[in-house]
Amino acid sequence: MTTASINFPRVIPRPKSHSGIWSWIGTVDHKRIGTMYGITAFFWFIVGGLEALLIRTQLSRAESDLVSPELFNQLFTMHGTTMIFLVVMPMASAFFNWLVPLQIGARDVAFPRLNAFSYWVFLFGGILINTSWLFGLAPDGGWFGYAPLSQAEFSAGMTFWSVGLNVLGIASIAAALNFVVTILNMRAPGLTMFKLPVFTWNTLITSVLILVAMPVIAVALTQVMFDRLFGTNFYVPAAGGDPVLWQHMFWLFGHPEVYILIVPAFGIVSEVLPTFSRKPLFGYPFVIFATIAIAFQGWFVWSHHMFTVGLGPVVNSFFGISTMAIAVPTGVKIFNWLGTMWGGSLRLNTAMLFSIGFIAMFTIGGFSGVMHAVVPHNAQQQDTYFVVAHFHYVLFGGAVMAIFSGIYYWWPKMTGWLLNEKLGITNFILMMIGFNLTFFPMHWVGLDGMPRRIYTFAAEMGWETSNMAITIGSFILALGVLVFMINVVVSRRNKAVAGNDPWDARTIEWTIPSPPPPYNFAEIPVVEHRDDFWYKKYPHLHEEHLEALDHESNITEGREYDPERHEATVSKEDAPLHGGGSHGIHLPDMSYYPIILAAGIAIAMGGLMFSYIVSVLGAVLIVWGLLGWSLEPASEPDH
Amino acid sequence: MIIIPVNRHNQPGQSYRRSSMFLIRRLPLSPAQLLILLAAVVAVLAGCTPDNPQSTFDARGPVAQQQLDLFLIVFWIAVGIFIVVEGAIIFMALRFRQRGQGLMPKQIHGHTKLEVTWTIIPALILVGVAVPTVQGIYDTYAPSSEMGTPIEIESVGHQWWFEFRYPDEEIVTANEVHIPTGVPVMVKLYSQDVIHSFWVPKLAGKVDMVPANDNQVWFQADEAGVYYGQCAEFCGLQHALMRFRVIAHEPEEYDAWVQGMRTPPDPPEPGSGAARGQGLFAGNCSMCHTTDSFRQGGYAAELEVQEARWEAWWEAPEESRVVSAPNLTHFGERTTIGAGVADLTRESLIGWITSPDSLKSGTRMATHALVYDTPNHHADLAPQDIQDIADYLLSLTPGSGAVTPPPGGGDPVEQGEALFAQRCSTCHSTGPDDMTGPGLQGVVQRADTRKPDLSAEQYIEESLRQPGEYVVDGFLNVMPSFAGLSDEEVSNLIAYLNTLE
Repeated sequence: MTTASINFPRVIPRPKSHSGIWSWIGTVDHKRIGTMYGITAFFWFIVGGLEALLIRTQLSRAESDLVSPELFNQLFTMHGTTMIFLVVMPMASAFFNWLVPLQIGARDVAFPRLNAFSYWVFLFGGILINTSWLFGLAPDGGWFGYAPLSQAEFSAGMTFWSVGLNVLGIASIAAALNFVVTILNMRAPGLTMFKLPVFTWNTLITSVLILVAMPVIAVALTQVMFDRLFGTNFYVPAAGGDPVLWQHMFWLFGHPEVYILIVPAFGIVSEVLPTFSRKPLFGYPFVIFATIAIAFQGWFVWSHHMFTVGLGPVVNSFFGISTMAIAVPTGVKIFNWLGTMWGGSLRLNTAMLFSIGFIAMFTIGGFSGVMHAVVPHNAQQQDTYFVVAHFHYVLFGGAVMAIFSGIYYWWPKMTGWLLNEKLGITNFILMMIGFNLTFFPMHWVGLDGMPRRIYTFAAEMGWETSNMAITIGSFILALGVLVFMINVVVSRRNKAVAGNDPWDARTIEWTIPSPPPPYNFAEIPVVEHRDDFWYKKYPHLHEEHLEALDHESNITEGREYDPERHEATVSKEDAPLHGGGSHGIHLPDMSYYPIILAAGIAIAMGGLMFSYIVSVLGAVLIVWGLLGWSLEPASEPDH
Repeated sequence: MIIIPVNRHNQPGQSYRRSSMFLIRRLPLSPAQLLILLAAVVAVLAGCTPDNPQSTFDARGPVAQQQLDLFLIVFWIAVGIFIVVEGAIIFMALRFRQRGQGLMPKQIHGHTKLEVTWTIIPALILVGVAVPTVQGIYDTYAPSSEMGTPIEIESVGHQWWFEFRYPDEEIVTANEVHIPTGVPVMVKLYSQDVIHSFWVPKLAGKVDMVPANDNQVWFQADEAGVYYGQCAEFCGLQHALMRFRVIAHEPEEYDAWVQGMRTPPDPPEPGSGAARGQGLFAGNCSMCHTTDSFRQGGYAAELEVQEARWEAWWEAPEESRVVSAPNLTHFGERTTIGAGVADLTRESLIGWITSPDSLKSGTRMATHALVYDTPNHHADLAPQDIQDIADYLLSLTPGSGAVTPPPGGGDPVEQGEALFAQRCSTCHSTGPDDMTGPGLQGVVQRADTRKPDLSAEQYIEESLRQPGEYVVDGFLNVMPSFAGLSDEEVSNLIAYLNTLE
């Protein structure tokens, strides 16, 4: 007797249709979930970008009164919160979802319904935190919510912030758990850890970081939420609360969070560079171990966000040195990427250009990072535009450039058609010029004494020219993003067919049709090599083969890829409709319970701010979702 | 069986090859030219004006200089590595760009020696940076003993202004801190409300002012001058307008300033606008702003009353009519108003008193003071009243009179009379006539009978500290709390009131 035979009264029938809106709401397909993550994150990217443009317009000249101080404080708080929690993290999730099963030769993630649940919680959490605008209660205490400014006496909007981020944290933890289990357990036969594509490795490292870091912020946010909603005194100095404790809690999460944002970007670049250099990643084990080292060392540097808090010279010395130390594995990665390109046959298309742009910009962000670690001068940099320049060089120049590289690279796999290259390169050039014009002068204006988070400045400070340039840059950057959107629309109309392997790529996701069928692999592949597909295409290039050739020649003869020679053994038409044929592919069935449970959580948490009746309604949904989920089989037995 | 499905209709490599050719042919500039252009644009934008008021490149004291020197070491190392890395990127993009059909490059998987080398070299460079960094951490934490005993100043960050206290000189002031040149200055940093940060870029990097955590920053100004400072930690609505000035004097001038801060201002001409302004100020502003910290015991009294104001606000953040506020002793000597927001002129002061929001919206003064309890937070005063208050405030400069004697001594009745003139006479006559408040002739005898369980002294003390509880029938509940008066001041006041038989 299985759980499937328990006759749980179903209020709603299980979704069956594979098209239409309900098929998306009930989906557990990692690819569809990845698409929804990507689209949602891109929507918030536009929202966060518009917030940034308003900030920049206000600051384009001295004594500007376009935006009120209240609104300005809300804008920069929400810009940071949005870009980190609603854009870069879920954009990485979009890639995790799309690519991990494809790169490890699996048909889905380990827990497909949990995966859908993560997405819906993320969606509702993002909506919840942004509904604050409707009430005029948008978060206004900065994205790192320093106590005691986050207390009710000092800021109106931080209730929404603490509640909303707490909801979003649930999504991240659930997703991270899913990917750790998926990567460790669902790899195709032969795919040992050190044959794993680098992107999947970095997904694993990121997920472990999320699993350990997110609970820390969940605790801290809950404390703030309790202070604000239920009158506790965790961060009330007058009642013995310590504001510095909040900073330790926040940055103990916050610094690993920085790596949570950038490690997926490292993964993308480590896939794109080898493909378009037609060379293996230089020093694969070094790159992997360097990333692990960064992730590990990332736990010992948090107080470098707090050099001016007055922790004393001993603590500051420790964290200054540990921060410099983390530059070492980061440098290793940069040199290894350069080593990958060295002597390659570089195809400078949009995806490659974004990856090269990533290295160039991230390096600059690395320099300013080391400058922060020079603790005495950190006191001049902290909370100025120099810091704003630094983290935009690593987060925009780094993470976002890599995300665009990943979009251009995997778009044909995801959709089956290519993005237009002319528009792509225009997109790249505008973004590079706009980015540097926006963020490079910030280094200067910061060291010229301009603090961050000020809504106005006096003309006599001499910051006007730089700020005008920064604002112009930000609009060029926005134009670059607009060109990307135009590219999607134009390319969608033209639909240049991509085929399975448009880039002559290296990893097994390129062996299957574009877009992949719901079951991904008609048959689970057997993996023999790192960059397995590459050596299946070019067996003569493999080390074993080269060793056999002895020292005949150092340079392998150039040889174009010949599709005829590597003919597919199974064509699309041969694949049975539901895949697998006699092997019988079992895919998990769709389910409404993830969205019900996710909605319940968001409603219950949101209700805490307004009416407990709403929370009770949310709780009912939670119970319904959990019960239905538990008693519903992953796949219907008669399916 | 291994499945390698390949789309047979697609010739891989064509689309990208066309596009990469597009890049090479159509780009008006090579990447190298682009970079040079960008660098040129940045250089022009930077404008290279290190004499801007808050430039960290214009160090004017040993602390800022040491911080700058350390930065420059790392900066030039970074420039070197920048040229290597970015140069390599540009070189590779040009040199290894795929040409024609493209040869299959040599498949290099790595080079352990090379990789170990580029791990160790950066590590060594960073060790070289770490040593002077740690040295600098200790140097910038406290001045060495050879530099002499530092002058100690305390600064308290408030939303959104800076309070400055000189515990040794018993001086309190706000938003403009005076220091002597050539001597280390140690500033103890405090906050009660939220986190602020004390930053004077030309003198020293910032240190945060954290509630429940006491910090310190030291610096020394080598030359006399005015140094701009600004709160550097986001502290709420008007973080942008929380500024201050450090005014460094040659040592003799500094001593003169200290003497001046202990010298009472000349009283306003009787019948002048300033005299009238004094009364209006006492009635409308004095519950939060102190103007007489030059007086004997004034320093301790200000500390107490500031604490009481904070507690009053913390008890009732919405309703409190009393809030922490800048000390206005010798306000006429100040150069700015609103915490460094505007130059102090009669005109700007009148504008500020009329409507604080016009200069800096959302200040506690505009949102809490009774006189601003109007729909648009404009002062509930006639234009002439405001001008008179401004004239009074501008008249607050060290007078020709005697310097306040050092703490201790003096006749209680005389001191009480002086205090009465300062704090009470606006509303209370010493005769039988009632003004805003009751006439105080014979007040001690009356007080004795008012409450059976309170002596006259207790009754007067309580009604000073909590006036709302002791309103005499027929009078409005408008008397501000004088909770901040020291016990000595209260007993002096009672000694004086005892003489009003």
